[in-house]
Amino acid sequence: MVLDGVSLAVERGETLVLLGRSGSGKTTALRLVNRLLQPSAGDVMIDGNEVSQMNPISLRRQVGYVIQEFGLMPHWTVEDNVTLVLRLLDWPVPDRERRAKELLDQVGLPYAEFRFRRPHELSGGQRQRVAVARALAANPPLLLFDEPFGALDPVTRHEMQEQFLDLRSRYDFASVFVTHDLLEALALGTHIAVLHEGRLEVVTTPGEFFGVRTPTAISFLNTLPPQLLKERGKWQT
Amino acid sequence: MANLILDPIVLRSLARDIGELTLEHIVLVAVSSGAAVVIAIALGVIGTRRAGIRRASLAVASVLQTVPSLALFGFLLPVPFIGGIGKHTAILCLVLYSLLPILRNTIVGISSVDLPVREAAIAMGMTDMQLLRLIELPLAAPTIIAGIRVALVTNIGTAVIAAVIGGGGLGVLIFRGVASVDTLQILAGAVPAAALALLADAGMGMLERRISRA
Repeated sequence: MVLDGVSLAVERGETLVLLGRSGSGKTTALRLVNRLLQPSAGDVMIDGNEVSQMNPISLRRQVGYVIQEFGLMPHWTVEDNVTLVLRLLDWPVPDRERRAKELLDQVGLPYAEFRFRRPHELSGGQRQRVAVARALAANPPLLLFDEPFGALDPVTRHEMQEQFLDLRSRYDFASVFVTHDLLEALALGTHIAVLHEGRLEVVTTPGEFFGVRTPTAISFLNTLPPQLLKERGKWQT
Repeated sequence: MANLILDPIVLRSLARDIGELTLEHIVLVAVSSGAAVVIAIALGVIGTRRAGIRRASLAVASVLQTVPSLALFGFLLPVPFIGGIGKHTAILCLVLYSLLPILRNTIVGISSVDLPVREAAIAMGMTDMQLLRLIELPLAAPTIIAGIRVALVTNIGTAVIAAVIGGGGLGVLIFRGVASVDTLQILAGAVPAAALALLADAGMGMLERRISRA
């Protein structure tokens, strides 16, 4: 049993962060949502529909997905990568181009400059911007992020986090965000679920996280520099 | 060396033989290689989905490859329907002999698509056919072409042996030359066969480079 007794919910405009150490089952939980994995018991509901009753192909086209390793198609241009789902949904070419322009400009990659580039010509941060734009292309109500910024340098990671918040308020999507970085969880989450060995330890908000006294939550708090903890009032505003 | 005397009448008839048999050789190779490409790629694709089929097909193709080609031609001679004297038996042998490099490279090429790329494709909602057509086959193409190149060049050499079982081709000249200790005839068969192999190798090399650049 990888996950047991985990029950969580997220609304539009909200971000549910799954925080845990390696092997805590957070990625497993994420993959149950778009049926990359099938639960042995229990189910995931989207807009009141059980995903186990939905066609996995059409389900996945309605759920954005961003992973740490980008997963861009190496033989395609940036524009083809961004419009992948639109192509699967049979959007006409002019609509796809319009959407690609809008999205690439939105994530800070000017369309005219980047549309014909290949993934290998981009930096890590730029690749992840393309991956985020790709996940947003069909305007999905729900996005899944699996440690998306974990491989980026701290400055780029911060820029990407800022952009995430900007995109969330613009597109009002619901999101589930897997990370093992407490600062990232605090910065992006509207709720934080702490997972430990496949069990849900606690669900809290960033503001209340400092008061949580469960073992894993405390281990995570111990990763913060002490001076930051002293000023924790800042987080609670 | 007495038979190297260059009689114009002999030469003219030899030139006609070379032309006809080269054409026959090309047909043998083209038909068998074409069939091998279709069968091996199809088996390879299925093999990447079904471990049992992958293991079984690789094992069979490997064993076929270890049988000396002359023996393989010999084995099929007494087999009813598919065997016997003639072109179809020769083509069948050449197909069996060409399978392994294409099959192996198809499986290797598809299996070496990066895991995150495959996962992203599935997570974006690609069907298995779309994954195959849009991602796996294009990314595996250079590897598959390299396998076809090896199979094709080997095939041109192996097709020489088709003459033993009445399959025709440039082997006819070579075996006739060997039987009558006629160096000119041997060369008349061997040189065009070598030239064909070099030509095929260069052509496939060009295709390989163009595909990996795209």
